[in-house]
Amino acid sequence: MNRRHLLILLCCTPLGLHAAPSEAEAKLRSAVNEVLTLADRAGSNAALTVSVRPVLLRYVSFETMTKRAVGVGWRQFTPAQQKRATDLFTTLVIRTYIGKFTPGERPVIDYKSATESAAGRVDVPTSLIYKGSRYAVTYRMEQIGGWKIADVVIEGVSMIANYRSQLDATFKQGGAEAVIRSLEQSVSR
Amino acid sequence: MNTKLHHLLLAGTALCLAACTSTRSKSPTAAAPSAESQDDYDVATQISDPLEPLNRATFVMNDKIYKWLLTPVSKTYTVVLPAGVRDCIDNVYENAKFPVRFVNSGLQGKFNRAGKEVQKFAVNTFAGFGGIIKQSDRIPSLTGVPSEDTGQTLAKWGVGHGPYLVLPLLGPSSARETLGLAGDYALDPINWGFVLTGDADDWAWIPSTGNTIRALPLQLERYNDTTATAIDPYTAVRSTFVQNRNSAAAE
Repeated sequence: MNRRHLLILLCCTPLGLHAAPSEAEAKLRSAVNEVLTLADRAGSNAALTVSVRPVLLRYVSFETMTKRAVGVGWRQFTPAQQKRATDLFTTLVIRTYIGKFTPGERPVIDYKSATESAAGRVDVPTSLIYKGSRYAVTYRMEQIGGWKIADVVIEGVSMIANYRSQLDATFKQGGAEAVIRSLEQSVSR
Repeated sequence: MNTKLHHLLLAGTALCLAACTSTRSKSPTAAAPSAESQDDYDVATQISDPLEPLNRATFVMNDKIYKWLLTPVSKTYTVVLPAGVRDCIDNVYENAKFPVRFVNSGLQGKFNRAGKEVQKFAVNTFAGFGGIIKQSDRIPSLTGVPSEDTGQTLAKWGVGHGPYLVLPLLGPSSARETLGLAGDYALDPINWGFVLTGDADDWAWIPSTGNTIRALPLQLERYNDTTATAIDPYTAVRSTFVQNRNSAAAE
């Protein structure tokens, strides 16, 4: 390696280190903007739940979310059960997320500096002002064939950890079938 | 000190003692490490719940009270008063709660935060007409100051949660957080009329009842938000409570 190469390498290293957080943040920003545009257009939460689905499927890794929400029991699911659970959980997560919107209310989002918590993992902390209250919302982004949202942490409460505590107990009681049945019940409620 | 509060404090202390002496077996099964379990999601929601059957019964009772009693009260409040007025009322109560945040910032050695609380209180009281307008939100250095409370102080001092408790009416708590609530109650000037006069004299109940009612819409919205999309509402509320309080304490 000659000196010029070394120089180029040295110059690129800091950029290389910062690339992951800024890439993940850029991805998150476009996801949030797309969702907010749809939210402005939608007259009701029910309509938004439908219109937002294709957008979220592009930006959110629902497979990862479902796998983590189930926890250790996931390996005992058959591929068919895994697919069914993922479909149901996707619907439930979208509903959970959209349920926090009130038509006509626009949030003010302040992005804080993103950090790389592990290789291929970036946390993007944001401060959200919604209906007069301020909330700390952290998006956990992961490199899963591009940067995808893998968890949302609102005021310290992780959506996935919250479901893990419920689904893990369900799995211990009745296995994969019980998990799927309880997801079906929650979705149809 | 008022006898009611005294009882509450005693009860809190007794609970805390019970918590300290109780066994600390938490996770019933130690799961073998695997790809899916190599995260902190299991740890994040852990709390011992030896009173689960009783807690679940209280949870069901509370749910009925929220639904059939408090929701109509909350609805009436939001219908009678426009949002702008409700915001002003919230601001006044939050501003008055200054001693809770100030004292607990100090007790945790967070003097910078305590100083900011003093500035916020001064700005909002004098420039915000007695706290009606939250003028401090216009000053970037005074926005987003994490509000400290007694539960967080106890956590900082190394007191563990103890057992999870569902309190009648008040909802999710733990032995430590119940003691924290008693501390917050005593530090909130809204309740000083009660504390000083010893009993519910003519006027003393008004500020604290007002405080309860004005807080209802947001509290109920959060409760509904957590339970509506839950698989098991009891577990959902418990893990939401644990995560939220742990992150507040760590902040």
